[in-house]
Parts: sequence; structure tokens; C-alpha cells
Amino acid sequence: MESAASMNLKVTSSPVRDNVVALDLEGEVDVYTAPLLRQEIVDQVEKGTKYLLVHLEKVEYLDSTGLGILIGGVKRLKEQGGGLKLVGPSPRISRIFDITGLNRIFDVYATQADALATTSA
Amino acid sequence: MNHELLAADESLAGGAATPSPIAESSVVTLTIPCAAEYVGTARLTILGVASRMGFSYDQVEDIRLAVGEACSNAIARADAVSQKSAPTITIRSHVEPTQLVVEIEDSVANTGGENAEMDKTAGDDVNSAELGALLMEILVDEVTLETSATGTQVRLTKYAAMNAEG
Repeated sequence: MESAASMNLKVTSSPVRDNVVALDLEGEVDVYTAPLLRQEIVDQVEKGTKYLLVHLEKVEYLDSTGLGILIGGVKRLKEQGGGLKLVGPSPRISRIFDITGLNRIFDVYATQADALATTSA
Repeated sequence: MNHELLAADESLAGGAATPSPIAESSVVTLTIPCAAEYVGTARLTILGVASRMGFSYDQVEDIRLAVGEACSNAIARADAVSQKSAPTITIRSHVEPTQLVVEIEDSVANTGGENAEMDKTAGDDVNSAELGALLMEILVDEVTLETSATGTQVRLTKYAAMNAEG
């Protein structure tokens, strides 16, 4: 049975190419659902994924808990010699990265093709 | 004929689609368990309250995020301490003609050791509490914090500069 948290946030992973995985997020990333995202990132790192392309197109809400986990993901993947890239945030979500200054930490791309063009796994 | 009803009907027929501005103060109160699964309920409530005040879409979203951050902080502190009675969060929205004041008051005991516990549980993720505090400061016009042995109150004020950004 699906957990209630997974009804508020759907996390879907799909391989893109060797060591590169797309992570599609749909819904709200908050204190309730963020553990799902953390677990998926940890699982991907343990599987040896080097680059995660985190799709934010369908994210309606993102709070500090979600931001913290994404930053943790950047750290974990950099330690593996890879990275975490954000794809397609809405203007509302982009604004959160802008006002907190976190746009300097994250690589943000409009499309997956743009993100892949700068990814050499 | 019921003239009051007729008057109401005429008012509707006359295209009174624009709600009249809020002229008097009112208070909307919601109490939730201090648990992650209820933060969405608090956000929905404040969304409904702020939407009626003439704030812009961005301003309403800012208020919603700030209230969510205050609740998340209470939950993180609750997770870091153990206390006999289950803590709650009360969100009191003071709707006034010129401002919205939201008080987020929790009953999480302040023992002094919860910050160290929160740092421990954060693992290698960034300290979300600091990020949350930063967001609150940026998103609303005033933030005040009062702590006591029995709980914490965060007071968020957003001025109703109608449809002005910020």
C-alpha cells in the first residue's frame, strides 16, 4: 500500500545513460514528504549513480526541508565525482532558489537535454 | 415579497463579483497536532485566509511558505525532544485591513538540548532550521520569536500593500 506521504509526492527514477539517472518529482516537497526524496537520493548514490537530473517541472511546493535534502544530494554526488542538476523549475520554485542565494550552489537547466549537454559521466 | 432577498439578488445580478475589502479585524484559529502530516492542513488554511485579503499571488505563496516553515521548525524541535503530552501547533491568523499577522504557537518544551539533537538528525543534509529561518525573514515583513519553557511563538506580519510586490 502506498504511504500517505507518497500520495503527496511522487518520486520516479529512470536511467538516462550510464551513471546518469533522471529523478521526476511530482507534488509537494515538505517536511512530510522530503524523507522519500532523501531515501531515493541515498539509494541512487549507493547504486553508483554519479549524476542525478532532478526534474522539478511538477513540483508545486518546496520548503527548506526539501532544499536541505537537495543540498545534501549535491554534496553526496560531488563526493562520487558527479553532481546533481535541477531541471525545469517553475518561476515560483526558481524564486525560492533565487531569494535564498541557493541558485549559486545548484546548476539549473530548462530542459533535460540542456542538463545532459554539460554532463560527462 | 422578501425585500432582503431581493436586494441580495439584485446585488448579485449587478455584477458584485469583486469582494468588498476587509474592513474589520477578525481572527481565524487552527490547532493541529505537531506532526509532519498536518503541515499541509496549516498551509491550506493560511492560503484561504491570505487569498481573501487582496494580496498578489506571489505574496500569498510567500505567506504560505513562511507559515509552513514555522510549523516545520516546531515539528523538528518536537522530534528532537521527548515530552509527556503530545505537542500541538496553534495557528492564529489576525486578519486586519492593513496587515495579516499570523501567530504560530507550539507547545514543544524548550529544554535547551533540542538544537544539538536537531543538528544530529540533520546528518549530512544542510541545517533546514537555519534555511527555514532565512526564508521566513525574506518572505514576510516582520518576524518575531518568543520562547518559553513550555513552547515557542513565531509571529509573522505581512503588510497588505495591495498587489505591491515584496
